[in-house]
Amino acid sequence: MTTEIILLLLRCFSGLLLTGVLVVLFLAMWRDFRSVAGVVEMRRRTYGRLVVIREVDGHEVVTGETHPLLALTSLGRSPTNTVPINDHFASSEHALVAMRGGQWWLEDRNSRNGTTLNDLPVTEPVVITQGDVIGIGQMKFRLELETP
Amino acid sequence: MAAQNADSPRRWPFESLLLGLSAVFLGVNFLALDLLRPGVNPLSRWFPLILWAACAIVGKRVLDRRLPGHDPVIFPLAMFLSGWGLVLVERLSPFFAGRQTLWLGLSVGAMLLAAALPHLLRWLRQYRYVLLVAGLGLLAGTIVLGTNPSGQAGAPKLWLGFGTIFFQPSEILKIILAAFLASYLAEQYPAMRAAGLGGEGRRLGLSPRVFGPVLLMWGLSVIILVWQRDLGMAALFFAVFLVLLYIASGHSLILVSGTLLLLAAGVIAYREFGVVRLRVDIWLNPWPEADARAFQIVQSLLAFAAGGIFGQGVGQGSPVYIPVVHSDFVFAALAEEWGLMGVVVTIVCIMALFARGMRIGIQQQGRPFQAMLAVGLSTLLAGQSLLIMGGVLKVLPLTGVTLPFLSYGGSSLLASFIIIGLLLRLSASETGHAVHP
Repeated sequence: MTTEIILLLLRCFSGLLLTGVLVVLFLAMWRDFRSVAGVVEMRRRTYGRLVVIREVDGHEVVTGETHPLLALTSLGRSPTNTVPINDHFASSEHALVAMRGGQWWLEDRNSRNGTTLNDLPVTEPVVITQGDVIGIGQMKFRLELETP
Repeated sequence: MAAQNADSPRRWPFESLLLGLSAVFLGVNFLALDLLRPGVNPLSRWFPLILWAACAIVGKRVLDRRLPGHDPVIFPLAMFLSGWGLVLVERLSPFFAGRQTLWLGLSVGAMLLAAALPHLLRWLRQYRYVLLVAGLGLLAGTIVLGTNPSGQAGAPKLWLGFGTIFFQPSEILKIILAAFLASYLAEQYPAMRAAGLGGEGRRLGLSPRVFGPVLLMWGLSVIILVWQRDLGMAALFFAVFLVLLYIASGHSLILVSGTLLLLAAGVIAYREFGVVRLRVDIWLNPWPEADARAFQIVQSLLAFAAGGIFGQGVGQGSPVYIPVVHSDFVFAALAEEWGLMGVVVTIVCIMALFARGMRIGIQQQGRPFQAMLAVGLSTLLAGQSLLIMGGVLKVLPLTGVTLPFLSYGGSSLLASFIIIGLLLRLSASETGHAVHP
């Protein structure tokens, strides 16, 4: 009789402990994911902007649309890009702007209609600087860097 | 906890907390076993728990000293599950408990070596072909000289025997294979990833450089399948390989074609081998043969049903009706005695291990070898657990692999702890965040 009661108590206690393991595990992982999220947020800091411009009568006009420039910015028609482009002439993964070795590089990702830099076609990765204009399809982006 | 929190706001002592909880849990269950089976020599009854505690304390001390920044969740989870495994062995077949406890001591030692031995990762990379040949040699040795500890005629001969000690080489081979694949693919990584940075585009996905090794691995899996009838290991090797290749190359075509190859192998195996046909047939419908060839799986399902939500309590169910319950079907015994609760905790623990492994992989993103090693090793653990948990629950056809940490089996425990050691090491090493060239 007493043994059975003790066994029942032990069973309840063991169940509680299992729940405790779950709770501690959840807390540990939750805290960790939160701290990682903070780090990721920090690393996603922007370095500048890509300003969308349009040419009207030979003049460049700012449309008001801007995109943040990340250390690795991808441009293309697919919504998974950091800068999605709604343009029929853009490929789904069109071009890449990336910070490498302290410089900004522009790369065409083998797109169908090509990428231009200041109206010249980009055939291999090129270094770009402040004020350069990237052309994709009918869209043009001006690079505006933030000085750190 | 608030006081500790104020003391060090960033680091809660999760590791000690989890280890402490596990120790109390094991103590409670051993006490219950003691009450249920009086008259056993107390020293031999409590020996597993004492050695477990010693392993936990020594392990924590060494890890804290040698790997200060290691992952706080992995080690306690492994200890928790393996301690639970000790309770299960003690309950199901007390005769093996002492042996399993000694294996645990050895495994924790191996884990610490894997975690703290200097230059280990470099050696793994440098001597990968030597390791691979040695592993394949062991496998070939098993094909020629293999035995089965149970001594039954016709049982798969997957062990190498030395006197009374038996060892399953495929357990070690899986680690070697993961390390080999990680280092091979890390070398191919720039070429495979070139597609992502302009250049040759996607056509690379069809080149022999990618598909050659796939076919090679497929061949290896098939050899294991044909000669050893080791369904689980063959499927596991191939699945891990597919995952790694997919991560290295980013071509989803690999997953699709690989799955098709695996299915094709399965269909051929079903037609050619009695073992496979039997497994699939009793998976589809075990009930007509519930007292014959499907006895094991049906008993396992009944054990799950008997367990209910809170279980029968340790030592108070009757899982010993299931044949070889202590190794492959340990999950069913766990379900009967700890119920749905135990099942959920087990699954959560294993998935947490997997999630941590993946996270370590992401953390090491800048270094392909380390990243892929972490992903491969955690996929091994999770894949193996899924195969056998699904098998025991009749969700998947039954494949005879062990449930990591929980099943009785020295080589499985050793391999699982080596995996844990390597993951701990990867979690502690400084991260390579450089953008890949």
